[in-house]
Amino acid sequence: MTTNPPNPSTPSEATVQAFADMSAALTGFQSSFIRPFLDPVNLSGTFYQFAVSQVGQPRMDALMSAFDALSNQTPKPTPQQIADTLLETSLDAPSLQAQLCQSIVAMWYLGSWYTPGLLGGGGFAPPAVQVISSQAYTKSLVWNLAQSHPMGFSAFTFGYWSEQPASLETFGVDTGNGGGQ
Amino acid sequence: MKKFITIILLTVVAVTMVIATSIPTTMAPADPAIVLSPNIPGDATFGPLPPNATNEQKLLAIQGDFDIYSWNTFIALNWPPGPDGNGDPNKKIGQNGDNDTVWEHYRDVANIFLPGGATPTYNGPVSVPTQCKASFKPGMRIVSQVGKTPTVLSDFSQPFNTGPIIDQNGNYTRFEILVNKPMFDYILANKLYSKAGQQAFTGEVAFPCGGPTGPEGAIMVKSAWKVISPADRGRFHTQTVLVYSPASQNPKYAASCSPKLMGLVGLHIGHKTDSASQWLWSTFEHVDNVPTEADVASGKLKAKYNYYNPKCSAANCPPNKVPPRPWVPTKVSAFHSQVVRMNMFKGNEFAFTSAAARNADALKLLLGVNSKSVWQNYELISTMWPTNTGKCQATPGDPLGTPAPNFLANTTLETYIQGMVPNVSSNCIECHNNATMTNAKPSDFTYILQRAQ
Repeated sequence: MTTNPPNPSTPSEATVQAFADMSAALTGFQSSFIRPFLDPVNLSGTFYQFAVSQVGQPRMDALMSAFDALSNQTPKPTPQQIADTLLETSLDAPSLQAQLCQSIVAMWYLGSWYTPGLLGGGGFAPPAVQVISSQAYTKSLVWNLAQSHPMGFSAFTFGYWSEQPASLETFGVDTGNGGGQ
Repeated sequence: MKKFITIILLTVVAVTMVIATSIPTTMAPADPAIVLSPNIPGDATFGPLPPNATNEQKLLAIQGDFDIYSWNTFIALNWPPGPDGNGDPNKKIGQNGDNDTVWEHYRDVANIFLPGGATPTYNGPVSVPTQCKASFKPGMRIVSQVGKTPTVLSDFSQPFNTGPIIDQNGNYTRFEILVNKPMFDYILANKLYSKAGQQAFTGEVAFPCGGPTGPEGAIMVKSAWKVISPADRGRFHTQTVLVYSPASQNPKYAASCSPKLMGLVGLHIGHKTDSASQWLWSTFEHVDNVPTEADVASGKLKAKYNYYNPKCSAANCPPNKVPPRPWVPTKVSAFHSQVVRMNMFKGNEFAFTSAAARNADALKLLLGVNSKSVWQNYELISTMWPTNTGKCQATPGDPLGTPAPNFLANTTLETYIQGMVPNVSSNCIECHNNATMTNAKPSDFTYILQRAQ
């Protein structure tokens, strides 16, 4: 059997973990759910690389630096406070960096990429640029929040619909403190 | 699995610390290893993770432990059996080149789900079709399936476009499914061998789990066989079996049965264990079965394969196509399957790396027994395992346990569903999670209970 070489452009473990921690704060999911101890799907790595491919490394680095600075403040802000700051929820016109955060939130929840700046406002979001991958579709967080599954894919056994769904916590939702723990 | 593996790894670390403080040596917990043993492992065992391991390194290390488990299972299941059916410790696998095996004495599902829902026995006489009676001798096996799913010749709505696979000589590949004693005993004790028994069964189907130090759990073995010539006998594990083709109305042909020399080309082992309530799925193939996509692209091809003609162009022999109908297994087919192993490990390269290393380790051991061992001609494709599960039970909210690798196929058993599309491409755990009994209640990752009458 032929061995495939590893992908040379894979981001470092520390970078992916930091992106996962930031994503947890932004989405309200547990960091250990966003990036499990063993992660054969590696959506964190996939999403990080995809976002970089769309907005460029400098812009992503700037966002990660802002998250790092927030996370190391004393006293340590809550995940909700980090999310509110990065998303600039108190402002009417979010900055380019906050718009990137919006796209990252949408990427995790919907498995699709929306160009920063086109989200928000009072109307419906425009069509996504693209679904990032089949795994991004089946494992996007909206299904966990709904305690459900996407069309065309279910991990549940036949007849699950007649039973009470498992709790939100078992689906990775951080119901205690807004995620990011 | 995450919690369970974490507990195991913490235990390994703790044991290491105790040993390190009490004995002034560099002694560390023994890493699991492939061994020549007739003992079927009840579960995988785990070595320590590299310090500060990355996600890829952790997955590679644990995949390695599961692949070692798979090879130890393969060796034990293919060990020469003693009179009780278990591996004979006084013999060795391949010591005479080829040998009878433990798993071939498991119970074929054709003799578990009997007409009228009759009570089966584990070692009793097998049912012999009328057409086979003239050739049948006690102990002879009867193989009939021509698809992974048993009714492939009569059911025209098979999922995933499943169809037969035909070798380069035009012969249909045959399949059989067998279960070990613990699995059979669970079916028997709960009367799940009949429709009536399944209807009366309350609660959830839960086959026994094997443990790392205990006996094996429920095991299913799916094997794939091709007709071979006596000249090829030294390259395959072989058996002379009765190849039975039931009569068919569409296409129309009469039942037939004849003895054939068959060579093993695929072996798929499912085992429910403490570390895998979604079962561990170990899949092996004959090394001459097919080239990989990379082999085809580079032109580095063998002169001959079981299911690929290297002299036929992609235009004339497009790969991985279901044979055109009608499917008539009683005749030699003009169509020959042109099968290529697709790369299903993109993003899961650790599965390639691990299998290659463990195959090399196992090869050395098997050659050490006998340089003419037929078992040197089999390779592990990979082991699928859940990364997130509890001890012998699934984690709520993640019933599939997030399998690694994400996809896995045996080219003789899942020929036409290779790929990387969720719910369409071959994923042992994902597919078997849909299995139900005849009353549509979940059947714990096995489809065989649907055969109850």
